[in-house]
Amino acid sequence: MAYFARRFVFFLGTLWAAVTLNFLIPRLQPGDPAEAIVSRLAGQSESVDPAQVQAVRIMLGAPDGNLFEQYLQYLGAVLHGDFGVSYTYFPYSVTHMIGQALPWTVILVGVTQIISFIVGTLLGTWAAYRRNSRVDSVITLGSTFLGTLPFFWLALLLIYVFAITLRWFPERGGYGGGSSPGWSWIFISDAFQHSVLPAVALLITGPIGWIIGMRNNMVQSLGEDHARLAVARGLPRRRIALTYGARIAILPNVTGFAIALGSVLGGTVLVETVFNYPGMGRLLLESVSSRDYPLMQAIFLFTTVGVLVANFLADLLYGFLDPRVRKAETA
Amino acid sequence: MKRSRLARIAAVAAAVALATAGCTGTEQKSGPGTDGRIAYLDYGDFGGGSNPQANYNPYLDASRLGATEYVFEQLITYDNYGCQAKPWLATEWTWSDPKTLVWKLRQGVKWNDGKPFSADDVAFTYDMLKQHKALDTKGIWRYLSAVEATDPQTVTMRFAQPGAAAFTLFGEIKIVPKHVWSTVGDPVTFPNAEKPVGTGPFTVKAFNPQQLTLGRNADYWQADKVKVDELRFHKADGGGQIDQLKLSRGEYDTNAMFVPDIKKAYVDRDPEHNKYWFPSGGSISVYMNLTKAPFNDTAFRKALVPAFNRQEIVDKAQLGYVKPASQTGLVVPGQAEWLPKDIPNQGVAGYDAARADADLTAAGYPKNGAGKRVGKDGKPIAFSFRVPGSWTDWVQAQRIIVANLNALGFTVRAETPTPEAYENDRAIGNYDMLLGVHGGSCNMFRNFQEPLASDQSAPIGKKAVSNFVRWNDPRTDQLIDTLRTATDEAGQKAAVADLTRVMTEQVPMIPLWYGAKWFQYRTAKATGWPSEENPYAAPSDNLLIITNLRPTGTNAK
Repeated sequence: MAYFARRFVFFLGTLWAAVTLNFLIPRLQPGDPAEAIVSRLAGQSESVDPAQVQAVRIMLGAPDGNLFEQYLQYLGAVLHGDFGVSYTYFPYSVTHMIGQALPWTVILVGVTQIISFIVGTLLGTWAAYRRNSRVDSVITLGSTFLGTLPFFWLALLLIYVFAITLRWFPERGGYGGGSSPGWSWIFISDAFQHSVLPAVALLITGPIGWIIGMRNNMVQSLGEDHARLAVARGLPRRRIALTYGARIAILPNVTGFAIALGSVLGGTVLVETVFNYPGMGRLLLESVSSRDYPLMQAIFLFTTVGVLVANFLADLLYGFLDPRVRKAETA
Repeated sequence: MKRSRLARIAAVAAAVALATAGCTGTEQKSGPGTDGRIAYLDYGDFGGGSNPQANYNPYLDASRLGATEYVFEQLITYDNYGCQAKPWLATEWTWSDPKTLVWKLRQGVKWNDGKPFSADDVAFTYDMLKQHKALDTKGIWRYLSAVEATDPQTVTMRFAQPGAAAFTLFGEIKIVPKHVWSTVGDPVTFPNAEKPVGTGPFTVKAFNPQQLTLGRNADYWQADKVKVDELRFHKADGGGQIDQLKLSRGEYDTNAMFVPDIKKAYVDRDPEHNKYWFPSGGSISVYMNLTKAPFNDTAFRKALVPAFNRQEIVDKAQLGYVKPASQTGLVVPGQAEWLPKDIPNQGVAGYDAARADADLTAAGYPKNGAGKRVGKDGKPIAFSFRVPGSWTDWVQAQRIIVANLNALGFTVRAETPTPEAYENDRAIGNYDMLLGVHGGSCNMFRNFQEPLASDQSAPIGKKAVSNFVRWNDPRTDQLIDTLRTATDEAGQKAAVADLTRVMTEQVPMIPLWYGAKWFQYRTAKATGWPSEENPYAAPSDNLLIITNLRPTGTNAK
């Protein structure tokens, strides 16, 4: 049990460190949010009225107290789930904005991550099972080739071919303007059409890491003594591959998958920017460029907590799956 | 082998895509509207960031949606190109003395919920901005002392000091209904999202973060002038590739964005209907740190005026979209009537490196044996010139400027800091030479007070409000003060003329080119857009434009 307790304490410690860094980092950056907002409004060729900067500053509410008092206020607010008001979307709250963006990211990226993981693991297993065959070389070479394509370029190519030239899919956005978000059939099919191209882009590049990881792990575990023993005992090849190879090889991939799911929130900036998808990645990018500290902090915090929780769960899972881990740490 | 397999995968993917896609089918045919009006016009973006939220609070500049401009109105509307005030919710205004301004309001105006508009609403609006400083984005209560509804059709404004200088600020405050806003708990955090009540030509018909639709207000006080039934705004990528593509396909009836090579990308696609007009905005100028040698020497600065190849900057760094700027600080030709008659070429200096060379030598800055220009201390003059590194057109201009200066024997370091570092250093005076923007508005007082008044300056190391060059000259201050208090146009013009002479003779800064106001429009459905031939408004004067549009094919009024 000590293993789990230690993991938990470690989890709490890193969580606290993440929250604190999250508070400090934006405050150490140069630049004034009020001026950033106003000069973005004015554009670079218009002069900015100082009265406007002043008004925006009052609107945002100047932080009161010294850094430590601000820190305590921040901790208290975070504990109550209060992340403040977004500067960019004033007077809407940070929680409201995240609530609007979150479903898009979770559905698009969550679903493609799961599919990528399943497809990648299966293909990797198949390649290792048939290692040094034609199937293996097609899968390995193919994924290496696709892995070298810049994602950005690939996404633009998809847009150019399927949205602009062929006009099969809309070129950007999460849904058209004609339907409003809700549980109507029209909206859902509209949102689905909009999600196809970004999902395809993610699915082309997504499984590559899982394929290569799974194949290499499995080739390695099939080369170990117990697997050789199984071959010597004359067990069927398929059974050796699955129980002696895949079952062990999948462990690191499971950890990787947990972490990948945890980082869904922040890891989607590129795809959402290229496709103008209304999710968390674009919200994050926007909050950084307009110095929207409350929004930025909340998104970073959610992302960090997501990764930490996933890590913690993966640790627990490991403890259950592999007794050696527990033993090694208690010994 | 590999090739054929990939091809098969691609074919399968394409088939799946075909099956699931159907057609996107969002395009609609534009038929004629009712009563000979235009059924709808497609406008560009509606602001509000990447995930817009319904926000029609006209004072929340940073987050309100652009459509607010069509829902709310103000006492006067400026033609921001020719700088003419047009009567709007007010029909006339008079200065009964330099500290008292009396407005007569238009009769028969109604809020879009049917209630009558009156002087009470006006007084309430101005008072609300006094109570809530965060809403006073123009800073009008720096000048005002009281706003009263003298009778239902009359509003009297009183000023702490003569108030004429800030006239353009007072008149353009959006007026909101007292019967709605007096019930709002805190107007600063009020998004006004549900059926905003205003007097304007349109009301909010439908909104989602991808599209905003405005419908014509049939009870509008000049409804007969509004010939468009619907305005549609779309979420866009802020002038990115896709937006430019949609523009070139004619999917917008009007838009305001930067387009590289607009003739090829837009006009040539449909020369009959696709047009653009990029009138000049504020002056982009070389700012010199006037607290340092040699920039503190008037003769030195004056010698530099012809040193810059403005036309090359305009052609190469600005794609020829803008015009070289006048040394007077005014925007020509729009504001030409404010210029003294004796200024040649409206104050736009030509490029004459030989003259700059001779003038610099005469001013005591000769070249040494190595061809380097030396200061009065006999040492070669070396300094830095900064622009924000991410503003690519300015970086292009920087190359030309630095080459022009180096050709004269200076040793100039081109620096490209981040915009934040650049702005901070400019404010605290930590620079030698850089680019800055000033002027361009219809408020002549603002145009000169912000860059030149000593009360907008600060010691080096402290943030200046807007006088970043740290110009400190009693005569300039006196002229700005005259401009602040002059209620008659003759007095204002005399003060402006003298300020343009300060600009040309003492050279506090060197304007190079004008920022452009981007504006594209299509005449397929509507005519009557402002243009170079018919510059009745600036591209941002939405109320003036919407009341001038006519269906294509009908006679202009």
